[in-house]
Amino acid sequence: MPEITYLEAIRQAMWQEMKRDDRVFLIGEDIGRYGGAFGVSHGMLDEFGPERIIETPISEPSIVGAAVGAAVVDMRPIVEIMFMDFTLLTLDQIANQAGKMHYMFGGKATVPMVIRMPGGSGTGAAAQHSQSLETLLMHMPGLKVAVPSTPYDAKGLLLSAIRDPNPVCFVEHKLLYKTKGEVPEEQYTIPFGVADIKRQGKDLTIVSSGIMVHKSLAVVNRLAEEGIDVEVVDVRTLKPLDNDTIINSVTKTGKLLVVHEAVETAGWAGEIMAVVSGSRAFDYLDAPMRRLTGKNVPIPYNRQLERAAVPQEEDIEREVRAILKGEY
Amino acid sequence: MPTEFIMPKVDMDQEKATIISWNKAEGDEVKQDETVLVVETDKVAIDVTAPATGKLVDIRFKEGDVVPVATVIAYVLGKGETMADIPGRTAATVAPKPVETPKAEAAKAPAAASPVAIRAAQELGVNINDVPASSGRISREDVEQYAESLKAAPQQPLPETGKVAATPAARRLAREAGIALETLAGSGPHGRVQAQDVVAPVPAAARPAAPVAAVSTGERQAKVVPLTSMRQKIADRLQASFRDIPHIFLTVEADVTRLEDARKRLNEIAARQGNSKVSLTAMLVKVIAWGLERNPYLNASLVGQNIHLWEDINVGVATALDEGLIVPVVHNANKLPLRQISESITDLSKRAREGKLALSEIKGGTFTITNLGMFDIPQFNAVINPPECAILAAGSVVRKPVVVDEFDSIEVRPIISLTLSADHRIVDGVVAARFLNDLVEGIESPETML
Repeated sequence: MPEITYLEAIRQAMWQEMKRDDRVFLIGEDIGRYGGAFGVSHGMLDEFGPERIIETPISEPSIVGAAVGAAVVDMRPIVEIMFMDFTLLTLDQIANQAGKMHYMFGGKATVPMVIRMPGGSGTGAAAQHSQSLETLLMHMPGLKVAVPSTPYDAKGLLLSAIRDPNPVCFVEHKLLYKTKGEVPEEQYTIPFGVADIKRQGKDLTIVSSGIMVHKSLAVVNRLAEEGIDVEVVDVRTLKPLDNDTIINSVTKTGKLLVVHEAVETAGWAGEIMAVVSGSRAFDYLDAPMRRLTGKNVPIPYNRQLERAAVPQEEDIEREVRAILKGEY
Repeated sequence: MPTEFIMPKVDMDQEKATIISWNKAEGDEVKQDETVLVVETDKVAIDVTAPATGKLVDIRFKEGDVVPVATVIAYVLGKGETMADIPGRTAATVAPKPVETPKAEAAKAPAAASPVAIRAAQELGVNINDVPASSGRISREDVEQYAESLKAAPQQPLPETGKVAATPAARRLAREAGIALETLAGSGPHGRVQAQDVVAPVPAAARPAAPVAAVSTGERQAKVVPLTSMRQKIADRLQASFRDIPHIFLTVEADVTRLEDARKRLNEIAARQGNSKVSLTAMLVKVIAWGLERNPYLNASLVGQNIHLWEDINVGVATALDEGLIVPVVHNANKLPLRQISESITDLSKRAREGKLALSEIKGGTFTITNLGMFDIPQFNAVINPPECAILAAGSVVRKPVVVDEFDSIEVRPIISLTLSADHRIVDGVVAARFLNDLVEGIESPETML
C-alpha cells in the first residue's frame, strides 16, 4: 500500500471525488495558483480549472455563504478556510444557515457541503491562527465534526464528508500535514460515529483526537515497556460521537483520561466524561476521570509558552502515571 | 491440594445464598456427594453436597451468613493433607486492616526544623509537626511541598460524615458481593476503597427470621423486621410488574354447578379406586390450559420488540407460605390428565411449604392462577407475574340468585368470580374478553373441552 502524507491523502480524496462527481468543487482563499496556505490543493487548478477551483476575495462569510447556496441546489462544495480561527467569522452561515436548513425545511432541503479547516497550535502562528475550536462546532445542532488523526482516516472520512447530504466541519491539524501513513490508492469511506481503538490496553483508557492521538501513542508505547497497558481510543468524529466504544473501553479499564488540545473550560473532554458517567461504565470506574487539555489561555507567540499551553508527551505520561498510582 | 468447597450457583440470576444449616462441623469426615449444608436462595432451599471425600475444615461462614456464589466456604482435606496446604489461608482469615489515618503519622516525634521552615509553615498555615522532612531537618522546600500537597488533596480523608470513600467500581463489587463498604480497608488515596480492595468477602450479619429489635422513632414504637431475601424478591418483582406493565382488569362470573357435579362424580370414582380427590383449583387449571390453547396471546411474553407466543402451556399456581409467596408451575398443563394436574398441585404446594421445590419446578411459567376462594374473598385483582402477560384471580364460590333462562326464571346457583389481569401492551380488551368467555364456557359446559 502506498505511503503518503496526511496532506496528500486529503488532496487525493478531493481529487478522486472531483473526477468521479462533477458537482464537487473547491472554494477558498489562495487555493489556486498558490495551492492553498498549506499546499493541500497544489496542482488542482491545472487539473480542474478555475471553474472548479474557485479563488475568492478575503471574506470568509461570503465563501461559506456561496457554498451553502451551491449546496442547496445540489452542488457539492468543499470550502477551505485558511485557518480554523477564521471560522468564527462564518458562524452565522455555518450554524444558522447550513446546519439548520435541513431541519427548517422539513427535510426537503439538504446542504451537502464540507468546510475544511486547519486547526491547532505548534507553528508559532500565535493566538489568532492556532486555536482548536471543534467544541464550538460540536455544540451546534445540524453540524457533523470530523477530526482525523492519520492519512488513512483523513482520506476515508473526507470522502464520507463530501458524500454526506448535510454540512460537515472537517478539522485538519497543521502539524499532521507532513505525517505519513499507508493509504490505499482506491476510494474508500470511513463512516462517521465510529471511533478507532488505535491501541488496545487494559489499565486505562485515553480518549483523544487528531495530533493528541499521536502524542498519546508515543507515551503509551514507551509505558508498555514497563508493563503499563493503556488503551488509546481515537474518536475520529466528535459528532456523531461513538459513545459505545468509549463506554466499552472504560468499562474494561475502569480509568479514563481525555486528552485534547482545545482549552479545558467547556471543552469536549467534559462531554466524554458525561457520556461515561451517565452510562453503565460508571459502575466500573475505579478512579476519578481526568482530562488533560490546553490551558485556558490564548495560544502565546513565544515558542516555549506555546508549547506549555497545550498537552505534551511528558504531560500525558505524568497524568497516566498519576491516575494509575491513585494520586487523585 | 485440599479441595475447595464453594458456594454453588444453581440459578442463572442467583448472586448469593444464605446458609441455613451446617449438617457437619469443623473436622468432621465427609463423603463426596453427601449433604453437608443447606442453603437458601431467593427462591428455594438447596442441599449442598461435599465436593470430595475427606475432612471438612476451615469452615468460613456460619449459619445465617449470606455468601456470594463461587466463594470458598470451607475446604475438604484429602489423605495426608493438612491445614497448612490450604492456599492463602492466613491471608483469608485475617480481619480487614483498619483504615490508616493521618493521625498515626502525626504521632511521630517531630523532626527538627529550620527557622525559615518554621516561618514558612506559619505563613502557609501548616502545622510544622505534620511536615515530612526530606533530610535530617525540615526545610522550607519541605514545608512548601507539603502545603502544595495539602492544596492538591486535602488530607482529611474521612470527615465525620461517616461516609466511606469508594470508587463506583468498588461500590458495585461490594454491592454484588453483599459486603458492607465500612468493613473494607481502602488502598486508594486517602483510604478510598478501590475495586482491588473488595476481595475476600466479609460475612454479612446473620439474617434474622423474626423481629430483632424494638426501635423508637419519635414517640412511636416499632418492631423491625428486616426483609428476607424472598420478601425482597417479591417486593422487587411486584413493584417492577405494577410499575412497568399497564394492567387491565376484566371480571366474569361463571356458574360452577356442572363443573362441581363433574368433580363430585370424579371424586366418587377416585374414592372407589383409592385415588386422591380432584381439587377445584386443578379443574380451573385444566380449563385455563384449554382456554390458553385457544387464545395464544394470553400464553405470551413481551420480549423487547417481539411477542413470544409460548408453545408450552405451563400454569403457575400461586401458593402462600408463612414467609411469603411462591408460584410452583404445572408444566404442559394442557397435555396432562386432570388427576395428574391435581396430584401435581398437591405435591408442589406441600413441598413449597417445606421449602423443597426444585428450581425447575418454579421456572418456565406462562400463566398464573391465584385462588383466594378458601378465604371467602368473592373477587380480587392480582398483579401480573412477569414475564407472563396475564394472571387469573379466582374468588370464592358463592351461592347467588341468577337468571337461568329466557323467561327470567331465577335460581340459586354456585357462582365463581374470575378476574383476569392482562398486560395491555400485548393483550387488548377484546382478546382478554374472548379468553374469559372461553373459560366461562369451559366451566359451565365442561364437555366442550372433550
